[in-house]
Amino acid sequence: MRWVRRHLLPAYAFLAFCYLLLPIGVVILFSFNAPSGRFNYVWEGFTFDNWIHWDAPSGIQSAVIKSLEIGVISTIAATALGTLLALAIVRHRFRGRGATNMLIFLPMSTPEIVLGASLLTLFLNRQIVTGFGTIFIAHVMFIVSYVVVTVKARLIDFDRHLEEAAMDLGANEWVTFRKVTLPLLAPAILSAALLGFALSIDDFVITYFVSGPTQTFPLFVWGAARVAVPPQVNVVASAIFMVAVLVMVGNVLWGLRARRARESMPAAVPLPEALPRPEAA
Amino acid sequence: MTFLHRHKGLTPYLLLLPGIVWLTLFFVAPLGFLGYQSLQTGTFDTGYTFDWAFSNYWNAISDYHEQFVRSFVYAGIATIVALLVSYPLVYWIAFRAGRWKNVFLILIVAPLFVTYLVRTLAWLNILADQGPVVGFLRDIHVLGPDGRLLATSVAVVAGITYNFLPFMALPLYVSLEQIDGRLLEAAEDLYASKRQAFLRVTLPLSAPGIVAGTLLTFIPAAGDFINAQLLGTPRQYMVGNVIQSKFLDVLDYPAAAALSFILMALILAGLLGYARVVGTERLTG
Amino acid sequence: MTMRITRRELVQRGAAGVILSLPGLLAACGGSSGGGGGSGEVADVLRFSNWPLYIDFDEKTKKHPTLDQFTAKTGIKVDYFEDINSNAEYFGKIQRPLSQGQSIDRDIIVLTDNERFLGLMIDKGWVEELDKDLIPNFSNLIEAQASPPFDPDRKYSLPWQSGMTGIAWNEKETGPITSITQLFEDPKLKGRVTALNGMGDTPGLVMLDNGDDPSNVTDAAWNAAVDRIQKAVDSGQIRRFTGNDYAQPLSQGDLAAAIAWSGDIYQLLSSNPNLKWALPTKGGIIWTDNMIIPTGGSVPTASTYMNFVYDPKIAAQITAYVAYVPPVKGTKEILVKSDPKIGSSPLVFPSDEVLASTHQYDSAALNNQTYIEQWQKVLGA
Repeated sequence: MRWVRRHLLPAYAFLAFCYLLLPIGVVILFSFNAPSGRFNYVWEGFTFDNWIHWDAPSGIQSAVIKSLEIGVISTIAATALGTLLALAIVRHRFRGRGATNMLIFLPMSTPEIVLGASLLTLFLNRQIVTGFGTIFIAHVMFIVSYVVVTVKARLIDFDRHLEEAAMDLGANEWVTFRKVTLPLLAPAILSAALLGFALSIDDFVITYFVSGPTQTFPLFVWGAARVAVPPQVNVVASAIFMVAVLVMVGNVLWGLRARRARESMPAAVPLPEALPRPEAA
Repeated sequence: MTFLHRHKGLTPYLLLLPGIVWLTLFFVAPLGFLGYQSLQTGTFDTGYTFDWAFSNYWNAISDYHEQFVRSFVYAGIATIVALLVSYPLVYWIAFRAGRWKNVFLILIVAPLFVTYLVRTLAWLNILADQGPVVGFLRDIHVLGPDGRLLATSVAVVAGITYNFLPFMALPLYVSLEQIDGRLLEAAEDLYASKRQAFLRVTLPLSAPGIVAGTLLTFIPAAGDFINAQLLGTPRQYMVGNVIQSKFLDVLDYPAAAALSFILMALILAGLLGYARVVGTERLTG
Repeated sequence: MTMRITRRELVQRGAAGVILSLPGLLAACGGSSGGGGGSGEVADVLRFSNWPLYIDFDEKTKKHPTLDQFTAKTGIKVDYFEDINSNAEYFGKIQRPLSQGQSIDRDIIVLTDNERFLGLMIDKGWVEELDKDLIPNFSNLIEAQASPPFDPDRKYSLPWQSGMTGIAWNEKETGPITSITQLFEDPKLKGRVTALNGMGDTPGLVMLDNGDDPSNVTDAAWNAAVDRIQKAVDSGQIRRFTGNDYAQPLSQGDLAAAIAWSGDIYQLLSSNPNLKWALPTKGGIIWTDNMIIPTGGSVPTASTYMNFVYDPKIAAQITAYVAYVPPVKGTKEILVKSDPKIGSSPLVFPSDEVLASTHQYDSAALNNQTYIEQWQKVLGA
């Protein structure tokens, strides 16, 4: 009985992980399927063909490239805007701080369909042609809030003494910012950028409304789902998944290495107690 | 640089400027246009005119109240199930997983890295009528009268739960992880049983995580339309499906705009109520 | 030390990248580029949007042979997009730029005459006139398609393929289904049936089953049809409404039967050999997908391509794969010799008898606003 009690929780955790990862497994597995017909739901045989000819279905290559392009530029823009916002909110007192907080928080609490629909209404009304540009605008808009939240969390814990020390040593604000603040903030900015990129690559609902004739990868999948999803969709999805997992694992390992480096540092610096005392000499 | 030195007070505003401008132009203004459009009448063929058509709102509620209710019920069930499913899992990772915490965390977040649509389509495969899963469930007589899982409310709610589970798990993990283990030790030193320690120490301390997770799950779930479209039938359609159809297929913009506004208003109302109970600082950070 | 420099450079370069990319973005925002607009020179790329599974495809090389032949013959490359899944959805996407006189970066798109959007495009003037001088093969157009109501002089459109709407079923799951009554009321089929979401397809078949004439829709006929369909939805008989997406569930076994298009079934046979299709005994609907040149498309390039596919040899290649009814004279003769299975298929070359039991849906009814709203309600949104 004790044995069951002790192992109940881990057993549950194991089952829960199976549940979480089952669809992922199915997606990856079926990317190696060799369907004889059009549909990819019955396992028929193993093949690397889909991975080699990943761009066989017409339109998939341009869709993936579009998604990557939009992902990169909207992430860069959103990260820049968001970091600036976070810096302002955390480090300065100004009129309307509460309202600004609200404004940044609202997009995260609005359903994507409302965000997409309202942007579309704006573009229709102002006669703006929907396409690559409008997708970029939409993505930056909804990513900014996530960047702010991520960077803010790190900024709040930020040890300002390092900056004060730098300024005491003669650096002006700009130099301090460049040489102390930014590098220390870099991991958070990088996390925010990765989060933003992931959000952009995966976005369907908002993009669906404002894309016009342009196709991103999620839009391509939606179209394909109407007829038959080619195994190459599984290939691309699996590839994105594996890259993301690798990046995250790398992030974790890097963090572990940095921590180990920090922990091993004191050994390199001789402690005062180790120095010979005058009386002992 | 000397300009900034002399006008130190300007710094925050300069930092804020680009982000605020972007959000104002592309979040606030569109909502304004949405409101404007919701008060128009007309059809795609004849054009739209603005005439304070509050009737659009009334029609939206009377025609689609069923879908509104359904959306909130589905989202609510999905949120609760997600909470119940992820809490023990996250608890185990935070307190029992030791050095492998971060690896398991990655495993929880991993599903998010497969495109939303592809994840949902995988369920179409797994829950196929003729597939092994449904066959097994049918054999043990668990299925309802339809004799299937796909194209039922169960499939839709299950899909929503699955897709938003990581959003519930992550905030829960963050707050559980921050709980100082010594507090639990102290509780046990004071003769609390494991159950009491959990109910009176862990659970209350994880409340911020529960709040955040609930919001991050419920809000997007209420506006979802993909699960209902792929895994359900018109009888499971949520408000999101109606809005999408009205905007993109029927091209009835005023009705679609009114529906969107009502959805947003309902969610904001819920949010305000929640904030009152919980405290705004926790929400906005 | 080296790590820190790299991170700083990352941030610096990121900022520089944003600043540098802004002008490019603003240019991209400002409208479409590429491709020729209106009349003038033949461009070197043809941008062609079509429905999925609607052109020949070689499974081994993963290419479209006729498109490659076109490029070899004329030097014009083809950007082929299979992004049309539903007339309503596609129209919804393109009407935004078109209503502002902007191009949608396409030279040819394909819409069905069975829904109001094809006629709407022409009525609103969102199409370019064909250059008949570049289409001498125009004379190969079969008589039946010479003068459709939405384009009596064939100034703007040319048929791509025709097809019929009927009932498909899976032999392993059920016996033959010969009528809408059976489809909507047989309790054995409950929840395993889908209907098409096209306003001209499902109501059309139901009207025929009711004994009404879908080419001349009256209010009474419409209401009777809609009531019947709604009943079947409410009772759970109809699982849902679909566009092309009945194909996978039908093939997979989730569905026993579906209201379906004739050619699709042919292409599904390689996935599930138990699928069958037939017109209901009370008659079916016939429709035609048409090629049109949207505003801003290159007329000479598009016209050159249209001429190419109206060559019976090319039409035969396409038809051999898609198994729909070709609008080009001489196709049957070629296929009877080269691919007898297709050449003698009643689905692809329906006999006069079969044709007599098919009907074209009333185009006026397609544009009736009340009907449109009612149909949307039935579809569930």
